Amino acid sequence: MAETSEEVAVLVQRVVKDITNAFRRNPHIDEIGLIPCPEARYNRSPIVLVENKLGLESWCVKFLLPHVHSKLLLYRTRKQWLNQDELIDVTCTLLLLNPDFTTAWNVRKELILSGTLNPIKDLYLGKLALTKFPKSPETWIHRRWVLQQLIQQTCWPSCVTKGVSGTVPAERRRQLIQEEMEVCREAAGRYPSNYNAWSHRIWVLQNLARLDVQILLGELSSTKRWASMHVSDHSGFHYRQFLLKSLISQTVVDSSTVEQNSLRSEPAPVLPNAEAAAASAAEPRINPPHLLEEEVEFTTDLIDSYPGHETLWCHRRHVFYLQHHLNSRFHHHGTPLPSADNPGGTASALHLTAAGPPTSQTMDVDGPNDPSKQGYSQETKRLKRTPISDSLGLEMEHRFIDQVLSTCRNVEQAKYANAYRKWLVTLSQ
Amino acid sequence: MKLYSLSVLYKGAPKVVLLKAAYDVSSFSFFQRSSVQEFMTFTSQLIVERSAPGSRASVKEQEYLCHVYVRSDSLAGVVIADSEYPSRVAFTLLEKVLDEFSKEVERIQWPVGSPATIEYEALDAYLSKYQNPREADPMTKVQAELDETKIILVSRRGPCVRPHSLRRGLGLCMLQKLLGYLPRGLRTLPERCDFGANSRRDSAEWLRLSPP
Repeated sequence: MAETSEEVAVLVQRVVKDITNAFRRNPHIDEIGLIPCPEARYNRSPIVLVENKLGLESWCVKFLLPHVHSKLLLYRTRKQWLNQDELIDVTCTLLLLNPDFTTAWNVRKELILSGTLNPIKDLYLGKLALTKFPKSPETWIHRRWVLQQLIQQTCWPSCVTKGVSGTVPAERRRQLIQEEMEVCREAAGRYPSNYNAWSHRIWVLQNLARLDVQILLGELSSTKRWASMHVSDHSGFHYRQFLLKSLISQTVVDSSTVEQNSLRSEPAPVLPNAEAAAASAAEPRINPPHLLEEEVEFTTDLIDSYPGHETLWCHRRHVFYLQHHLNSRFHHHGTPLPSADNPGGTASALHLTAAGPPTSQTMDVDGPNDPSKQGYSQETKRLKRTPISDSLGLEMEHRFIDQVLSTCRNVEQAKYANAYRKWLVTLSQ
Repeated sequence: MKLYSLSVLYKGAPKVVLLKAAYDVSSFSFFQRSSVQEFMTFTSQLIVERSAPGSRASVKEQEYLCHVYVRSDSLAGVVIADSEYPSRVAFTLLEKVLDEFSKEVERIQWPVGSPATIEYEALDAYLSKYQNPREADPMTKVQAELDETKIILVSRRGPCVRPHSLRRGLGLCMLQKLLGYLPRGLRTLPERCDFGANSRRDSAEWLRLSPP
């Protein structure tokens, strides 16, 4: 049915008001959605509020969206004035329909900076938008901007008055981190391999949590179950790789610093293990080799239970590489890396290989130079040049591959196992 | 990995009858749930209609995998899962459920039953329990060693494009019987059985091999 522009304007005004009222009536709305409804039911609002879920009937979108969109742009180009409340309502409606409309988020940034809009409201709005658009890049970007504003706001009074970060900001920070982890987890569940959600999660750990070891360990254990129920989610497993890498790099830094100090002070025997080093340097104690071993066990378990998932094999490569990398790093600091399971033979093997010169080999895996493979990272190149020192670990991996190949019936599984073997072979060249 | 629906149906002569069903649509957005559930009911019925008695198949429809098992007595079960969920566990579940159902619900009710009249309440519990395949089926790892004989049809235009496909070719049960005769090294069945010319060729191969 044809609507005159006046009717449309009235309709839009009503809808925007209905949305605002819905939020006022129910501050616990946790999800938005579109209700497929091609025809308008006579004289009923297209806004539906059921059990904390806010729905919009689809028939009205074709009127609502262009109208509200042009309204905002007219404001932006200074052709039509909107007061602050109107701006908040209009941008809210717009962003629930299309959260990738950067201009709307930018208007809200201005409102936040001028003090009219509480940044927490934007976190809430973003969370709602993500229930329908879990990948929306602009939402995640704006979210990071808001979080940065919040951290600065929290820091500033304590820096000025006390000079140290007080307990209140720490608690606030912890709450923010908790909330962000929850938002990321939900968004990751709504879309497979949600790169944007997992990247945001990493950003939060780097910038809000400042890679605090306790938090990293907590994340490692709390995402374990999620990963085991999403065995094809590359981004989820990449997150675990990030956690392990961060934990390792923090331990290595600590142990090398402590070791240098001890060497300077007395010609004492080298520190026995990383655990002691970490413990003396910083609490809580973390044992990277143990963490990596646990991760290998975890991967083995999943590969056996769920054959034919490439993600699991990629994850195994990363973990193996981290184990190898960890060993060679401890090399360079002169500390052999025994663990409870490694026999003494391995320790001496580590020593021997450390003494020899690193051999440089060609980097190619499958044959003649392939220009598409030029994109190897520096780390991968370094890895391929250094001889593998963890010969026992390599042996175990080959045995694992043999076991998988002899028992599996899944064609994909066999393919991935063979590819893994090939990769391991190139490492030891 | 998720299970979305578990249903028991009867493959009647003219029509397929839905006897009982359980759904878990909690992972879908709230306003989509009822239409998703309808879609799953419809798809389950359609798949059973196109499947031969005494067959098992896994049909891919968009990002869902529908596992169907039609017994030779025409009692059928359909599990709709995502593509991560191990199909082996899905078939174990179907076998278990149909076995139990056939013991608890009398045969005369099957051709004429409906979810309202059939008294079998275990489906919801099974659906919930099997959301985690390893907890529900501790033999998962051991089973992974056994044959993964599955037949996958990729539907291009909609559910079950070729209505005759699933009737032609060997049913899974027969394949498994043949496998019993094969020495271990030869038990590599193609994963995708295209039910066109290829399958006829494949079945000819199997028939040529004689028991030891």
